Amino acid sequence: MELRDNSSKGKTIASGLIPFAFVIIMMVYIFGPGADLLDLGIPLPEITIEKVDFVGSEIHATVRNTGPIPVAVAMADVNDRIQPAAVEPDRYLERFETALVRIPFEWNEAEPYIIGITIDDGTRFEKEIEAAAPALEPTLDLAIFFAIIGTYVGIIPVMIGLLWLPFIKKISKQKFNFFLALTAGLLLFLAIDSIEEAVEVSNENLAGSFNGILLIATVVVLSFLGLYYSGNKLVERASSSKIAKPVAIALMISIGIGLHNFGEGLAIGAAVGLGSVAFSTFLIVGFALHNTTEGIAIAAPMSRGKLMIGKLAAMGIIAGSPAIFGAWIGGFVYSPFTSVIFLGIGAGAIFQVIVVILKWIKDEEGENIFSSASVASGFAIGMLVMYLTSILV
Amino acid sequence: MISLLSIVIGLSVIVFFPTFSDAQSEQKTFVTHSGAVVKTSGEVLDPLYTESTVEFDPDEFLRNFEYGRVSISDSGQTIRDYTIIAEDDGIQEISPGIFYNVWTFNGTVPGPTIRATEGDLVRVHFINNGAKEHTIHFHGIHPAGMDGVFEPVGGNGGQFIYEFEAGPVGVHPYHCHVMPLEEHIVHGLYGVFIVDPKEERPPADEMVMVLNGLDTDFDTENNFYAANTIPFYYQHHPIQINTNELIRIYVVNMVEFDPINNFHLHGNLYKYYPTGTDLVPSFYTDMITLSQTERGIMEFEYYYPGKYLFHAHKVEFSEKGWVGLFLVKDNPDNNSQKVEYGT
Repeated sequence: MELRDNSSKGKTIASGLIPFAFVIIMMVYIFGPGADLLDLGIPLPEITIEKVDFVGSEIHATVRNTGPIPVAVAMADVNDRIQPAAVEPDRYLERFETALVRIPFEWNEAEPYIIGITIDDGTRFEKEIEAAAPALEPTLDLAIFFAIIGTYVGIIPVMIGLLWLPFIKKISKQKFNFFLALTAGLLLFLAIDSIEEAVEVSNENLAGSFNGILLIATVVVLSFLGLYYSGNKLVERASSSKIAKPVAIALMISIGIGLHNFGEGLAIGAAVGLGSVAFSTFLIVGFALHNTTEGIAIAAPMSRGKLMIGKLAAMGIIAGSPAIFGAWIGGFVYSPFTSVIFLGIGAGAIFQVIVVILKWIKDEEGENIFSSASVASGFAIGMLVMYLTSILV
Repeated sequence: MISLLSIVIGLSVIVFFPTFSDAQSEQKTFVTHSGAVVKTSGEVLDPLYTESTVEFDPDEFLRNFEYGRVSISDSGQTIRDYTIIAEDDGIQEISPGIFYNVWTFNGTVPGPTIRATEGDLVRVHFINNGAKEHTIHFHGIHPAGMDGVFEPVGGNGGQFIYEFEAGPVGVHPYHCHVMPLEEHIVHGLYGVFIVDPKEERPPADEMVMVLNGLDTDFDTENNFYAANTIPFYYQHHPIQINTNELIRIYVVNMVEFDPINNFHLHGNLYKYYPTGTDLVPSFYTDMITLSQTERGIMEFEYYYPGKYLFHAHKVEFSEKGWVGLFLVKDNPDNNSQKVEYGT
């Protein structure tokens, strides 16, 4: 008996491993004796200038080898005029390796520049900067400035939104469901907004080899699944402990919105960093108005439980404060890849929250949730309100 | 939650520190356009001030004239035999770190400067060792069958002999005339053909400057410009000349894509003989404009020693390599004629 057990176990393991072995054989063949099979066409080198910083009397370009073969950086130019430059740590870039090209150049603030990098085969790659602005030095003053802006954009509007709680508390079940649906509408808008932003950043700054859209899709789905799983665990624990279900849901909403606001912080920090100061003023005012509605999203589920001001304030902080961290990162260590990842995580988090809210409405309303006038109108108005406030950004 | 947090932290660590570079203690320095000295732990990318190790030597080309293998015919005519071999598979480092597929006459861009006296019989034995068809089309006066247009010479050893009487007096380009013509020219199949007058020009320090461009990324815009192919070469290898000595430059514009080029000399003016066909100068200037294959002869003397720039006053071209220096030294033979500043 035991023997048979062992042998069947062995068979299971073997049957699991055999396909792997074939995969390995296939890979070895294609890279070894079968390499000629893949020897089609000429691989074209490619580099991407991911970032350009204006530092003192130098222009710094971060270049990445985003092509299929190693390249050597050979020459730098500013506005198509050849300049002596330095490349650190060295000129040879393996696939996906980055280097910093330092071009001494007396640049003028607010003027546009095109930075060009030529590689060993004579191909020139360029990146256009709309307006030169000094790179932000991570000083304490600036960190405080970003913290204040983050507070203004993230925490204060969310807190103001939370003030609707007593109002939502007093209304009937129908109207309450209206507000829940409104929240879902608001959030759906935010999720789409995050994805759009991620796509934009990826199109402008990420090389094709990162497969930007697929990267975003993967991050959104992974974030959704991860948060959905851990969120369910939280709600399960909530039902067995003292935390009420509405609190758990509100907490999930706060986390989702927090991740989203982190993305907004990134956008503001990056806008200040890129010198588009007028643009960032609009960004700040727009986001502040926009984020007031996020408070409603947290307040709606909380209105069903007891009024817990401490918890509510904590959630406001969870939802709002990531804007501060976002602004710091966006302003000081901006990287397009990081931005895309965080925006994707934020979108996944929000989708997760939407699903939870819709499930909740379903529990209250029954199967056909969108056939209820209050839910349908709430959802629609949520989207509309967000669209209208987004015009301000 | 904790797992999510750790993923976020992990990702951000990966993303914020994309390069874990080894800090190198060895510092290199280089000089910027405005004279600032910059230190780097990495490598210097500098086509301007570093010593060039390029394969083609513009210094050697500058004063090199091929007079051919000379013989005299029964009728007393001087016959000059030249051999020119075309190739189109060469890769040359045309600027530090940048490699380009050059098509060459006798292995260089430009090809050899061939020189004859008016009335000489010129015989160019052309061998095409390239993969494509090539020809040599000389500017000048010759029979139709010697024009290098309707007589394509096949690759891998095809041969042709161009035979004509040298004329008219002047400086002329020669180039491949196979379609697509622009491609054959910009890859480097061109050179200079000088016809001297029977009565020699006054002795001078003579040099050839072919103004050319290189489109290394094939977007029909030149990435580099130069006098004699290598960008910035004469800027960091100044051409040494003497005071009170006649300098004669045979200048030929072979730049494609850009309609015009020009030549500006610092601290001096030159007498200019368009196409070199007349023995009387047409201009006394420091600035001439040259269209495609437009060429001429410049003559000047410097009176004060020192460094003088010469460059395209289309500054884009000079900032992409068409710039050089004359280093004028006191002439040991002509000290008596030296003109003191202020006298």
